[in-house]
Amino acid sequence: MGDLPVIDYTLSFPYTRTTGPVMGPFLTALRDGQILGGRCGDRVLCPPLEYDPDTGAEVAPDLVPVGPGGTVTGSTWVSTPTEKHPFAEPFAFATIALDGADTPLIHAVKAPGPVEAGTRVMAQFRDERVGAITDVYFVPEADAVEQTIAPGDEPVEITEHLIGVRIQEDLYPFRKRYAQALLDGKILGQRSPKSGKVYVPSRGYDNMERVPMTEADDVFLPDIGTVVSFTEITPIQYHGQTETDPYIRCAILLDGADQPVTGIDIRDLRPPEFKVGLRLRCVWRPPAERDVSELDNRMGAIPEGVYERWEPTGEPDVNPDELRGQAW
Amino acid sequence: MVSRATTLREPVAVVAAAQTKSHRRFEDAEPQLIMEVVNQVIEQSGLDRHDIGFTIAGSCDYLSGMPFAFVSNIDGVGAWPPVYESHVEMDGAFALFEGVVRLQLGDIDTVLVIGSGKSSPGTPRNVFPLQTDPYTMAPLGLDPISLAGLQADAMVRAGTATERDFAEVVSRSRRDAMSNPFAQVAKDISVDDLLAEPYHTTPLRQHDLPPISDGACAVLLARGATAEQLSDNPVWITGIDNRIETHHFGHCDLTTSPSTSLAAEKVGLHDGPIDVAELCVRYSPEEIVLRQAMGLADGTTINPSGGPLAAHPVMATGLIRIAEVATRLANGEGRRGVAHAASGACLQQNQLCVLDRERP
Repeated sequence: MGDLPVIDYTLSFPYTRTTGPVMGPFLTALRDGQILGGRCGDRVLCPPLEYDPDTGAEVAPDLVPVGPGGTVTGSTWVSTPTEKHPFAEPFAFATIALDGADTPLIHAVKAPGPVEAGTRVMAQFRDERVGAITDVYFVPEADAVEQTIAPGDEPVEITEHLIGVRIQEDLYPFRKRYAQALLDGKILGQRSPKSGKVYVPSRGYDNMERVPMTEADDVFLPDIGTVVSFTEITPIQYHGQTETDPYIRCAILLDGADQPVTGIDIRDLRPPEFKVGLRLRCVWRPPAERDVSELDNRMGAIPEGVYERWEPTGEPDVNPDELRGQAW
Repeated sequence: MVSRATTLREPVAVVAAAQTKSHRRFEDAEPQLIMEVVNQVIEQSGLDRHDIGFTIAGSCDYLSGMPFAFVSNIDGVGAWPPVYESHVEMDGAFALFEGVVRLQLGDIDTVLVIGSGKSSPGTPRNVFPLQTDPYTMAPLGLDPISLAGLQADAMVRAGTATERDFAEVVSRSRRDAMSNPFAQVAKDISVDDLLAEPYHTTPLRQHDLPPISDGACAVLLARGATAEQLSDNPVWITGIDNRIETHHFGHCDLTTSPSTSLAAEKVGLHDGPIDVAELCVRYSPEEIVLRQAMGLADGTTINPSGGPLAAHPVMATGLIRIAEVATRLANGEGRRGVAHAASGACLQQNQLCVLDRERP
């Protein structure tokens, strides 16, 4: 028998951004082993900006080399780095006044221990550079090594930044009991203590009456119900598509429920035999084969991992007019 | 002194407020947290929920780990029959700002404001770098704790605060939180004991940082006569303003907060004494910066709830400050107070809301 899922996923977004007339040359220069500042009035800003930070006025791009040496003006020692930080071992984030710049750059300093204000540091470029702020880091001047950097070809006009947020949680209490019931070959719903309506799967609360529900509100439902709506899907082949043959996705109103279970896949029945009003019974997989791993806290109702098929009961069809209002 | 405060055309009051306990890990869904506080403010006010003019919520999909997570949060409000509502990807305190503005149109009388968040499923320290500049900071994983470390370092070097000052903020917060039933971190601990703990991100120690929390807050706003009908003790918003600074922290003097000072001027903070201030102190040094930027006098009680160092349900933390001040004033603990909310690292954006028992 399958285990109850523990939710652990990384929500990722690959952001691509155009770089513009100031960040473009700045990032191109980093790839090519140089740091640029931007003239703004009589100051040199690093990082350079397209606007005057004091007034918001547009500044015509006028980029000048700064660094590679600089002086730490402030720092913090990061004793427990995150996986998003530039170094796995403790390091310093510092404000660094690069030689020739009037505003400090915030960046990482790789050092054996806390870095005091006043410390001279030197830029070091990574072997693999992509035109990003992470192409460079800093070390105390004495630890710097000479580097010969071969410039790249094309200017950096696009940056790619893959962000990811890891989410880890248990199934919510009701979802846990619901998933366990499926493994046991049963369907668990909840009866609203206020309206008496039965929801399956429940969200753990009645969103119509706005009351929380507890284990005391749990009710088992029969594994027999009526088709209230369906769609026949002809899979289009795209990257990642695993379906090949047409199949039906339907909603079934279980006997005794006030809300249909949606998203149930049917592979061995076809219209016109399959229709709204058809009475169906769940044929469960053997206990050892049941799998609820695709359930999470938001998606999934009765996954294919727990049933072999839904078979017609042979009872007369329900008049579709009686099912209006349940079509999802 | 002549007030330079921007006055509200339509007087607006807090007529009910509720917050959940701050949970280290709330095992159920976020709408459950919202339902708890929304049901409480509806009960407190006696208002029929169908008569709420407008609902606005603040939450964060990156924390929930799902795009459009804010949509399911409406389950906690009740969306049938359909409700008139909106959402900001900001703390509920900024949603409240929109609520106050919405009431100025004069066509509706009540606004339900919600702030909610579950930080526990994710890693806040990895989520919040996404608020920073996407070219020069976010790829470094530059997180609010590290930036708070740089701010604290700047203060110590400039002589505006010492590590002992930070510990004094924490010690008082921990002790005050012992009388706050919603607090997550409460303890009677001395400054010397705190200073004996190891550094986390110098010169900050673990206790200088906020806890990771799940929770929600709801506030019901009402306009003019409706406020007086719904509550025996409406607490009036006499000024509200928010200001933002550059996100390039290298261009800022981290020892000060000009945006807070400007907001203080705009809300007429010093038009009268301030009895109680709830400040969005997520890192202990921020209290020292804010106190100075707002020019708070010694007679002002600061963060009697313990503040965000004791409970930090992100996206509700700022709204809780307003709920705390309003509740205290309604209970007669002072006449006039101020609630501060912040967004971004190093107090990048700041909002001040002045509350008064006297109708303006």
